[in-house]
Amino acid sequence: MGVGASGPATAFAPSVTVPLRFVVAGVLALPAAALLLVLRPDLLAAYHYNQYTVAATHLWVLGFLGSVAMGAMYQLVPVALETRLHSERLARWHFVLHLVGVAGMVWMFWRWDLKQVGHFGSALAAGVALFAYNLGRTLRTVPRWNVVASGIAAALGWLGLTVLAGLAIAAAKCSYDSLATLPPGHPLRPALLALQATATWLGRFDPLGVMHAHAHLGGVGFFVMLIMAVSFKLLPMFTLGELQNPRRAGAALGLLNLGLAGVGLTLFLRSRGQPLAGLVVLAGLALYGLEVRAILRARKRRRLDWALRYFLVALGLLAVVAPLGWVLGWPGLPATQLTTQLETVYGWLGLAGVVSLTVLGFLYKIVPFQVWYHSYARQVGRFRVPALADLYSERLLVAGLGLVLTGVLGAALGAALASELIVRAGALVLLAGLGVFLVNLGRMFRHFWRPRLEPLPGSALSSKPVGVDAEVKPA
Amino acid sequence: MSAETVEVDARGLEPPQPLMRILEALAGLPDGAVLRARTDRRPMHLYPLLAERGFTAETQEQSDGSFLTLIRRA
Repeated sequence: MGVGASGPATAFAPSVTVPLRFVVAGVLALPAAALLLVLRPDLLAAYHYNQYTVAATHLWVLGFLGSVAMGAMYQLVPVALETRLHSERLARWHFVLHLVGVAGMVWMFWRWDLKQVGHFGSALAAGVALFAYNLGRTLRTVPRWNVVASGIAAALGWLGLTVLAGLAIAAAKCSYDSLATLPPGHPLRPALLALQATATWLGRFDPLGVMHAHAHLGGVGFFVMLIMAVSFKLLPMFTLGELQNPRRAGAALGLLNLGLAGVGLTLFLRSRGQPLAGLVVLAGLALYGLEVRAILRARKRRRLDWALRYFLVALGLLAVVAPLGWVLGWPGLPATQLTTQLETVYGWLGLAGVVSLTVLGFLYKIVPFQVWYHSYARQVGRFRVPALADLYSERLLVAGLGLVLTGVLGAALGAALASELIVRAGALVLLAGLGVFLVNLGRMFRHFWRPRLEPLPGSALSSKPVGVDAEVKPA
Repeated sequence: MSAETVEVDARGLEPPQPLMRILEALAGLPDGAVLRARTDRRPMHLYPLLAERGFTAETQEQSDGSFLTLIRRA
């Protein structure tokens, strides 16, 4: 392979199996979490600080959102930034640690065994460390640093902080009685002493504030930051447009980072400066909205496909959720049933609405392409291959979006009214929407396992497909 | 004598259509000819497929932000 004037043409497309295994794990965790909500609507209808809501939240956030987001980044970052992934081997180890960590954490949160949460959380953290190292090394090879790379680097930083904060919170909820019985030279003693010191230090702060800070570092710092950064690349790519104002995009990213640092700190310290920090976040999001609008207005492809509409609906929800969060952060706001339930609505709409709808829409872009690339790219020019749109049903996509959105909004209403009945109804509709999504996903994966080819006009039926076990049917 | 060139303009197309246009054009590329493919983005997914089919590629970014990839048999 030759070398071009503006950079090497030697980069290899990354393996499709690494991102897809994360995606499969993620899309299996999602209906499990939704089913949990059907069975236990009190998860949203009652006050949220209980072991079951914490377990279900981690199943949703780490099991679904985290799996898909991190898997997608292994594929997306090298392609979007024109480089290659540092190590696929590390990514495969990350997957194992991630699965063990998430499954164990959710199980132990449900049992409220915080010591074991810490152990499984450490496995998850080791996986995240591999992920951050792998992508950090990948980012170092990016030929042209830009706003997308900056946003991804920031999201990685916030992810690391979120995980550390989560581990510290778990450590703070454990007792260290065994220290008294351990002999002075025992190898575990230094680690236990460090954990005890962490617990003592964190015990000085308001536990609710610490947990809110942890949630915002992850929800906003990792997921919203990632959505913002990646959309600066993908939105122009899918609408055939351009980033309209790189300075505005950079300012949006900068304000989100600055504001989040303030929000995290003021939540942690229970400081009255929270509304000011929140305003900086809102300003960053407003600039982001302006840039998205400008990209869409200047696009060459007039028709917005349904996968993009998932994303735009998610952004519409963000325009509601972000101001709601700002209001709920007002100092001295009384903790009534209404305000605490609105906190639940805020968290639910942020994660199940804004981030999940974006991820679901994104999956309709990434999975068909990955499957198509795996099964058909090598056959182009040799056989007639299906188009990307032939891999799934658009009618199911539209139906799924309608059901998921209705379900999410219904469950939010139920949470606001503290009504288990309405939450359960919303969760059932959501589950139906996810079922539709899974059926469509199954259609895509059918092409992964059993590609279907047709011979090109004039070519022999006896031609062999390259690299896949495909069925060749006459046209 | 300069080599025969075949032009493929795959700008304005959503993935994977640029990749399909280029690979389909390569299937009929005469010996010794060069395929000049224009794309909106650097064709990262194309390179391994070209190598597998015995082609070399050289990509240059153009002043308008698009990319020109010159493809010839190895």
